[in-house]
Amino acid sequence: MILTGPAIAAAVAAGEIAIDPFEPARLSPNAYDWRLGETLRICASDLDAAAPTPFAEVGIPAGGLVLQPDVLYLGVTLERTGSERYAQMLNGDRTTGALGIWVHVSAPLGHAGHAIRWTLEIRAARPVRVYPGMTFGKLVFLQTFGAPASYQQHGLKYTATDGIDISRLYEEIPGGGA
Amino acid sequence: MILTGPEITTAVRDGRLRIAPFESGQVNPNSYNVRLGPTLLTYTEPVIDAHRPNPTTTTDIGPEGYVLQPGELYLGHTLEEVGSDTFVPLLFGRSSVGRLGLFVEITAPIGDIGFHGQWTLMLNPVRPLRVYPGMKIGQIMFFVSVGPVDLYAGKYQAALGPQPSGYWRDQAGTGAVA
Repeated sequence: MILTGPAIAAAVAAGEIAIDPFEPARLSPNAYDWRLGETLRICASDLDAAAPTPFAEVGIPAGGLVLQPDVLYLGVTLERTGSERYAQMLNGDRTTGALGIWVHVSAPLGHAGHAIRWTLEIRAARPVRVYPGMTFGKLVFLQTFGAPASYQQHGLKYTATDGIDISRLYEEIPGGGA
Repeated sequence: MILTGPEITTAVRDGRLRIAPFESGQVNPNSYNVRLGPTLLTYTEPVIDAHRPNPTTTTDIGPEGYVLQPGELYLGHTLEEVGSDTFVPLLFGRSSVGRLGLFVEITAPIGDIGFHGQWTLMLNPVRPLRVYPGMKIGQIMFFVSVGPVDLYAGKYQAALGPQPSGYWRDQAGTGAVA
């Protein structure tokens, strides 16, 4: 089951959900409307799952930055969010989608125990100008079923990320990391 | 409600879920990591026709990996057979794979209660990307359902290997295509 906006507010007040910074006006009927951070990593080369991804990091100027199709951008949410109790799903909103922007590449789930600024995987269908701090998507919170398990106890890769993380899949592939 | 990792493990043990092969090391706080199978299908005609069977060619991913090209659609598959007569499965990419710019499904994350088999992956990279057989590529999560269950009995039941679109079969039933 998905938390309503008032239920998210109550969970923030009770300390069961952390959203920082938290602005009550960004609560929508069943989500929190998160914002795009100020930095992008541009990945425009050939990639290999067994090797770290080369990238160039740029700030998004106040006047905006034009995203180009066929380039992979890694961005970051302005907010850090976390919950030991609820799982999270991050998606774009319909306004972003109507601009032809994907905010993740088929990986929306945040496991219970995440406490992160989310790395975004941004792709544009057409050239489109984006701005730092713009409202970019919705974050929903899901009740869980069964005994809890926290991401923090799993020894997983991105437990407390505070910026943009490139993929660390190469750590899992034999001979990777070259 | 979304199942926790411990509940996924319990449900595999008591039969409410089937994941084969099952490795406890692939359980996350709210999902299970599935691996990329060795077979890829690509459509060979320049235009895919929704109303007709589309010829395909098969590629085996060797241990040295295989480079996926942007602009091409690859149908892959999970190594695991996954299904449940109780819970609703959703398949997404892993964030580590999203950060490599690889779409693992195309607007179709939701599975059916009662489907059992290998899941077809719809692979489309933003940048050229080398992938490897057996790499952990996606995550399947499970949701508690509400209401009486009418089990899946559709055209992809018991799938092994990647399945091309069977839309034409539904059309054939209406007499639109011989």
